[in-house]
Amino acid sequence: MARDRNAQDDFISPVRRLLIGLLVLCMFGLFVVWRIDSPRVERIRAAIIDAVVPNFDWAMAPVTGVVNLVSDFRSYQRIYEQNLELRRELQIMKAWREAAMRLDQENAKLRDLNNLALDPQLTYVTGVVLADSGSPFRQSVLLNVGARDGVLDGWPTMDGMGLVGRIAGVGGDTSRVMLVTDTSSRIPVILEGSGQRAILAGDNTINPPLDFIEVPDRVKLADRIVTSGDGGVFPGGLLVGHVVEDSNGRLRARLAADLGRLEFLRVLRSQAIERISDPGTLLAPLQMPDFAAPPDDETAAGEDPADATAGATDG
Amino acid sequence: MAEVTARRVWTGRLRYAVIALAILFFQLLPLQTLPRNWGAPDILLLVTLAFAARRPDHVPALLVAAAMLLSDMLLQRPPGLWTGLVLILTELLRSRARSMRSLPFPLEWGFVAIGIGAITLANRAILAILLVPVAPMGLTLTQLAITIVAYPIVVALAHFALRVNRPAQGAVDEFGHRL
Repeated sequence: MARDRNAQDDFISPVRRLLIGLLVLCMFGLFVVWRIDSPRVERIRAAIIDAVVPNFDWAMAPVTGVVNLVSDFRSYQRIYEQNLELRRELQIMKAWREAAMRLDQENAKLRDLNNLALDPQLTYVTGVVLADSGSPFRQSVLLNVGARDGVLDGWPTMDGMGLVGRIAGVGGDTSRVMLVTDTSSRIPVILEGSGQRAILAGDNTINPPLDFIEVPDRVKLADRIVTSGDGGVFPGGLLVGHVVEDSNGRLRARLAADLGRLEFLRVLRSQAIERISDPGTLLAPLQMPDFAAPPDDETAAGEDPADATAGATDG
Repeated sequence: MAEVTARRVWTGRLRYAVIALAILFFQLLPLQTLPRNWGAPDILLLVTLAFAARRPDHVPALLVAAAMLLSDMLLQRPPGLWTGLVLILTELLRSRARSMRSLPFPLEWGFVAIGIGAITLANRAILAILLVPVAPMGLTLTQLAITIVAYPIVVALAHFALRVNRPAQGAVDEFGHRL
């Protein structure tokens, strides 16, 4: 009996095996193309996500809501203590608010006296988190704003308090935010206090380490970390968090943003940072204007061969 | 009788597609935005392997390829590599499915465990060779271990809830051939 089946297999299976082999080869080919020409395949990926995920949206929001409700339910048990705690905190915060407003006014007055030009305010577009990365190896979320809202790759994203990540991948209606905890996230920061520059390098932990600090001894714990704007990718001055030290003595960032509860995110419209690329032309112009180099002036032509040839053709 | 069997095969395929979409849906829910130091089991892979080992006619290669490629795209993995490796493993299981029918479950589990370990390590090795940034080793290993441990649970669910069981020894397909 078994022989019959095998005999029948013998003329189907080679063809089938060939087709399966082709399919596997196609997949590996796709991977190789992705490795060689990543942006194009990533654009296809953004288009696929753009087509698939918003279709799930109607179901995702209620299911997420229900799950969060259940997990919140435990906290209702100690709602009274929580209420007292919040009142106490509110008292302290009110005092701080007064102090902050006083300082704000003082600041404004001093700026006015100094005639200081400030950076233009950043504007932002707010998006709702649709989905997370779905895998423990990637730290990213999907927002419901995309190219249609003018979102561009590389723009910083914040929750109410601090930096959350940057846009990496834009579809028509969706865009992906790579969180600062992702292993491929690198953000130039400056440690206020000591004024040293560092790189915030995500490593899949909740407190990303600070790399390339020049003099780590001068860093004080609990110093504020803000983005530095180095490299021209990120605007400077966005709050990232505070410096903490882990058990191995390595400096890390405690993030100001609450990554556990990402619901609404602000995508900051970051203006392209203007670069001053030409050297100062006041003292020594590199190229002499044509009318300034008379063809019969031998000494000027001797100094500059380019001008000499120009002079020769002119003459 | 033949029509009934054919219809059963097509419902089986549809069911696999729906299960795959549902798993992706639940993985994408924005519930877990904090990084963890352990990896949740790869349920989609387990379901695919359980089907391939028990009901290979319900998971044709094209369907597996489509489901895995979609998950590659949605879950931000390098597209194609994991799909190709999973295809190879399901084809191996499919070709062994008839002889595995009479095996006790622990042996099937062992075979699947070796397969999952092999494709996980191959995936990591290829990514490392091509200089693609890879996840921390600890995360990969915990995910591998939890995935392997979860296989009997997925098989039990498939067996009792979805009736994905191995064909009986004398079962025949719609043309009267022995399965």
